[in-house]
Amino acid sequence: MADRLLFSKTGRARYISHLDLMRTFQRAFARAGIAIKHTEGFNPHPFVSIALPLSVGYSSQCEILEFSLLEGTLAEEVPARLTAAMPEGIVIHQCYEARRKLKELRYINYIMNLEYSEGRPQESEPAMAELLGRESLTVKKKSNKAKAGFTEVDLIPLIRSWRIECQSDTMTLDAVLAAQNPGLNPELLRTVFCQTYPQFTPEFVTFHRREVLDGEGEPFR
Amino acid sequence: MNRTLEYILQRVQKPARYTGGEYNEVVKERQTVTTRFALCFPDTYEIGMSNLGCRILYGVMNQRPDVWCERCFAPWGDMEEELRQAGLQLYALESGDPIADFDIIGFSLGYEMAYSNVLNMLDLAGLPLHSEDRIELTPLVVAGGTCCYNPEPLAPFIDLFVLGEGEEVTLEYIDLYQQAVEEGWSKREFLLEAAKIKGIYVPSLYEPVYRPDGTLEEIKVSEGAPQTVTKRIVQNMDQAYFPVKTIIPSTEIVHDRVMLELFRGCIRGCRFCQAGYVYRPVRSRSPELLAQYGKAACEDSGYQEMTLSSLSSTDYPCLMQLCDELLDYCAPRDIGLSLPSLRADTFSMGLMERLQRVRKGGLTFAPEAGTQRLRDAINKNLREEDLLQSVRTAFSGGWNGVKLYFMLGLPTETDEDVLGIADLARKVYFAWRECTPNRARGVRITVSTSWFVPKPHTAFQWEPQIPMEEYQRRVDLLRDALKRDKSITYNWHDPHTSYLEAIFSRGDRRLASVLEYAWQNGAKMDAWNEYFDYQRWMDALEACGLSGDFYACRERRPDEVFPWARLSVGVSTEFLWREREQCYNSQTTPDCRTRCSGCGANQLLTGGGRCG
Repeated sequence: MADRLLFSKTGRARYISHLDLMRTFQRAFARAGIAIKHTEGFNPHPFVSIALPLSVGYSSQCEILEFSLLEGTLAEEVPARLTAAMPEGIVIHQCYEARRKLKELRYINYIMNLEYSEGRPQESEPAMAELLGRESLTVKKKSNKAKAGFTEVDLIPLIRSWRIECQSDTMTLDAVLAAQNPGLNPELLRTVFCQTYPQFTPEFVTFHRREVLDGEGEPFR
Repeated sequence: MNRTLEYILQRVQKPARYTGGEYNEVVKERQTVTTRFALCFPDTYEIGMSNLGCRILYGVMNQRPDVWCERCFAPWGDMEEELRQAGLQLYALESGDPIADFDIIGFSLGYEMAYSNVLNMLDLAGLPLHSEDRIELTPLVVAGGTCCYNPEPLAPFIDLFVLGEGEEVTLEYIDLYQQAVEEGWSKREFLLEAAKIKGIYVPSLYEPVYRPDGTLEEIKVSEGAPQTVTKRIVQNMDQAYFPVKTIIPSTEIVHDRVMLELFRGCIRGCRFCQAGYVYRPVRSRSPELLAQYGKAACEDSGYQEMTLSSLSSTDYPCLMQLCDELLDYCAPRDIGLSLPSLRADTFSMGLMERLQRVRKGGLTFAPEAGTQRLRDAINKNLREEDLLQSVRTAFSGGWNGVKLYFMLGLPTETDEDVLGIADLARKVYFAWRECTPNRARGVRITVSTSWFVPKPHTAFQWEPQIPMEEYQRRVDLLRDALKRDKSITYNWHDPHTSYLEAIFSRGDRRLASVLEYAWQNGAKMDAWNEYFDYQRWMDALEACGLSGDFYACRERRPDEVFPWARLSVGVSTEFLWREREQCYNSQTTPDCRTRCSGCGANQLLTGGGRCG
């Protein structure tokens, strides 16, 4: 089976897109002098694959990259050497042999921060709680496959758990959302919230991935 | 990072262009440096980061502990709008500080269509556009690059121009600037001293005097400024700085690969080619050093591709030896080697095998003209048999496509020459039929034509550009001639940008008002179709009472005083005139290795001066 990296992507690196990040890793392995397996065929290149692409602008402390380490480098050396070859904001925490399949990665814990620089409206918290507490929350979602150009999705079954924490100028939503097949991008929660309660539209929202979880809610590695 | 900026970055396209933080970015402590330099490229990040000259200057300046050079690019329209709306000033990527607070702001000018971006960037920085309205010495606004061989349309906006290669002269004027700051000189005092540095042109010390017909009577020189400013060159390429460690962008740029500069200058002397004249004399790097640099640059960057760069790479004397040495390193690591600027008469089996070893790139040749007569007249010195031999080699080797570049509107061109392009393309097609190992796969032959723009400091600097309608007629003629050939695709260049290039490349100082007018009316990013508006420029010319045809389509008198008359690239005007006459006689001039033609550029070399 393949090898995996656990890494974080924060600060200025948040703006690196998924494709650009793959390229960055391919080059960083070469810069660090870490030999990894290349693809075969007409245009051979270092093979890397990042599980669950992160939207541009989101930060994360739990990204997973798959690759195959070739002989010559010990796994425990990889984090430090690779981090040194990375642009600012990407830090590799672990390098290990994959022991379980990626499809066992079921949930992602997101921290969503809604900012109100003029002060948070008191009613925004019960509003969010009301929304997430509904029996079902069906929204239209853009789709390239569906004929109509969109499909209808119920968000509630895709939310495993949530917790709201408020301060005078922020509301933080700590939510565990389905990761894949289908997954739920927290951006959709923001959109629904702003559509349902336009009077509580925040000025700015940040998104952060805190942990990836398996079906039991334990960290997935 | 600034909170407002974070907010903005969520809403713009490709935000990684605006963040900095890439691998190998140079960050210094603000307190430890005395001079802060904003190296500005008047186009997008993707274009600017691909510029080898900027990579070199960034390295050269940052080697000095007392100087911090940072980068700044033109924001795309969505980002510009956000910056203006939020009241944020144009900032440098490394520190995020506004460039208006820097000591020196330096622009790299590679093509005329970026001029409007220079004004736009000064405005986004919050600075007055005109040099005379920036009273203080700081920030000093300078410019370098190929356009500076005739920088007159930008003269009122820029404090000083640097002519030629910047490795040494940049540090010299930074030294002088530091002295000026320390001793409290006025801007005028500094510029007078700076004008004494070789290669520096201070436009405010030169005053053009016009005749009633709009041509130049003379260019007056202020006391103390040199009569002629001659470009600077690096004497010894083996001792010149090479950027082994360069910034590796975190987002894809245009030339996303290791660039290995083999040599400067070109031995060929094509009469239309500005680069061929202004980068003289030829100076090569040794193959041993290049191999060493190439490997080190791959190791430091992790790039999967390397390109050998020069004006005509197959003229590099030790090319095969260098390729072999590089391939020994590259092939096992899957690093591809590519060679642009191939002359069609020098593409050999040996070279082809080397280029294919890792991955096969596209193949492009530039015959420039369709008939032998015209190729001789422009001194391209390429024989049809040689071109056909090269494509046969390539087709036998499995290539199934080739791009051919030509120009329309070259001096002395006739319809026979235009139709000759179609004939040549067809011969290339037959060469494919004859040689391909696999006819079923088909072939793609692409013919592209651009509209010839006469450039300063070339043998054709006296020439008119043909009228736009005539260019269009020749395009139509060629299109008709090629329309039945299904395997040949014909692309032609939009004439509007070429016309503007022809105006500005040989333009005088009066065009500055046209530029300013066009910018005020929204001109920016003119190298991009999304933004370029031809009518806006025509309106600007009219508003300023100037005629585009005066600059583009007028044949100059033999004794014409050119706007760039005070600037020298080391090649004598007599030589250029002689070359022009040779053109009209369809006489070729041999390349510099076969015989020296006495252009004068060897005098730029200290100690005897042999080009190599």
